[in-house]
Amino acid sequence: MAIQRVRDPVHNLIEFDTHDELERVVWKLLQSRPFQRLRRVKQLGFSELVYPGATHTRFAHSIGVFHTARELMEIVRKKTDDQGSREKIALAAAMVHDVGHGPFSHAFETVGKRLGLKLADHEVMSDELIRNGEIAEILNTDIMAGFASNVANMIKKEGKITLHNSVVSSQFDADRLDYMQRDRLMTGSEHAAIDLTWLLANLDIGEVTTGVDDTAVGSVPTFVIGPKAIQAAESYVLGLFQLYPTIYFHKTTRGAEKLFAEILVQLVKLVGDAAEEKTGLPSKHPLIKFAKEPESLDTALALDDTVVWGALQLLCEADDPILSQFSARLLNRKLFKCYDIRAEITHRFDPHNSMDLQNIEKIEKCCASVVVKLQEWQKNQGGVVPRIITDEAERKPYKAGGGSNGHTEQINVRTDGGELIDIRQRSEIVKSLSIYRLTRAYYDDSDADALQVIKNIVEGEIA
Amino acid sequence: MPDIRIEEVRNIIRDAGGRVVGRTRLQKIAYLLSATGLDDSFRFAYKHYGPFSEELASSAKFGALFGNLDERQDQTAWGGTYSIYTVTDMEGVNQGTPRSNLATLAATADSIELELAATAVFLAHDGYDDPWDETAQRKPEKATAVRLANAKTLLTNLSQVNVPNPIPPVLLA
Repeated sequence: MAIQRVRDPVHNLIEFDTHDELERVVWKLLQSRPFQRLRRVKQLGFSELVYPGATHTRFAHSIGVFHTARELMEIVRKKTDDQGSREKIALAAAMVHDVGHGPFSHAFETVGKRLGLKLADHEVMSDELIRNGEIAEILNTDIMAGFASNVANMIKKEGKITLHNSVVSSQFDADRLDYMQRDRLMTGSEHAAIDLTWLLANLDIGEVTTGVDDTAVGSVPTFVIGPKAIQAAESYVLGLFQLYPTIYFHKTTRGAEKLFAEILVQLVKLVGDAAEEKTGLPSKHPLIKFAKEPESLDTALALDDTVVWGALQLLCEADDPILSQFSARLLNRKLFKCYDIRAEITHRFDPHNSMDLQNIEKIEKCCASVVVKLQEWQKNQGGVVPRIITDEAERKPYKAGGGSNGHTEQINVRTDGGELIDIRQRSEIVKSLSIYRLTRAYYDDSDADALQVIKNIVEGEIA
Repeated sequence: MPDIRIEEVRNIIRDAGGRVVGRTRLQKIAYLLSATGLDDSFRFAYKHYGPFSEELASSAKFGALFGNLDERQDQTAWGGTYSIYTVTDMEGVNQGTPRSNLATLAATADSIELELAATAVFLAHDGYDDPWDETAQRKPEKATAVRLANAKTLLTNLSQVNVPNPIPPVLLA
């Protein structure tokens, strides 16, 4: 083996020099079962129902993150004397950070939260996979004993914090720098562009303070940007923000995720209630095995998107109506219709979008009340199949003052005078960005009564 | 929307004396009540800042939105923001119950030491032989010798409260 090459749609040529210990190990990791599974886990889950090109996988993303981490590490090397084993740990961490994502990542995590399934949480699953099994064996044998734990600890932000941590998790980490470009390219979206070359050319190092509640802890090193990259950083903040309403929070994608979550929750419940025969799946199907042994790493590793898509055909024949009806919907893209609660309420309380504080408070209260009432209504329905499914999410484009995490959660700009300031102090655009929130209800478009219930509850809360 | 339990958040704040400074403090007080069997309202998972309940965070947020509890956000001297939660209606709070004793004591603790203490309790329940050592390894910046000693003393003081699930003896000073 010498140079191993991968052609990538975002970064073009990505090379692995197998004469280098770390790159040889990373190449070996790519051949392992946990990594090969990522070929079958799409980065954006159900987004391909909206953006047909968005079929890129977590496998491709992981390679892209490693490549970007190498570029960031060049900056770390130039700016610090610390070139010890932390560099290898950070590069390996960048590579393996996503290895625990389940099928339809975030929807799968929702199921895990509802049912208390630990391994559905990608952070828990990644941690387990890195510390145990094939990945741990490669890292501990080919590099050094204990290396796998060091990698897992860095991903979990545990242990000593050095600048290398910023490569793995920070405002300019390799993960975000890759997925912003990759998701934009693969969806075909033309907005949300970032000037990566200029950003990287202007990345610098700074020390920022940390704390817990009102008490200061100390300081940690992180990436900051130089004064010439303020516009590039503005585009970066804006670009990330634009990906949420247009791609990640798209109403159709979220609608598919909701149906998927209902299917999986019902399936796990049926298996738990010894009613496996109602699922339509054979007893050795990976989903049935997972429902029986959700704590088993091996069982969780058998799950991927293809397992789910393959199961849907069988689930269409299930005796259970949630499984049969929702599976047929998902398979044929006959999703529930979306009613935009927030759009209606916003229009009624603040038709000219004044963003007056009083109006905002009214809108928030009203949206929350509607969701609570709709959920109560759904709970009181006698039928098995949900008729109304609510959805809420929010994304802060930029936390004022870094929020409770302070400077580590903000983009720090080094001024010409050498001071570190929040980008909001230099950018009116970033300063004026408000939180993006969604409040939606999904319903069967042939169920006119359900739509009427939504409308009545919205009207009732507005009045 | 995760399960919203605003009244349960109010009860925790009321038992803590009606005022809790900081989201971390609120989380860790609630976790200690949960770990000792004095509250079962919220599920906790481990994050790098220690035990955390998403349901509790959402419930507090909605409580503040609906006006059931007051949340005031302030800027810290170190550059971040922090919240102060208050509940003014203290009627019906029974002083001297194990819940109020434990919550009040925890609420007056230093937030970093409280985080270390709650983390050690979580790790003890997670099966670690030496939870303090594990805590120190996970949080080297926070776990100075003085703070660890204070966190141990805090748990020792909390262990004086009569609770259904006592704090594991391995954690006590």
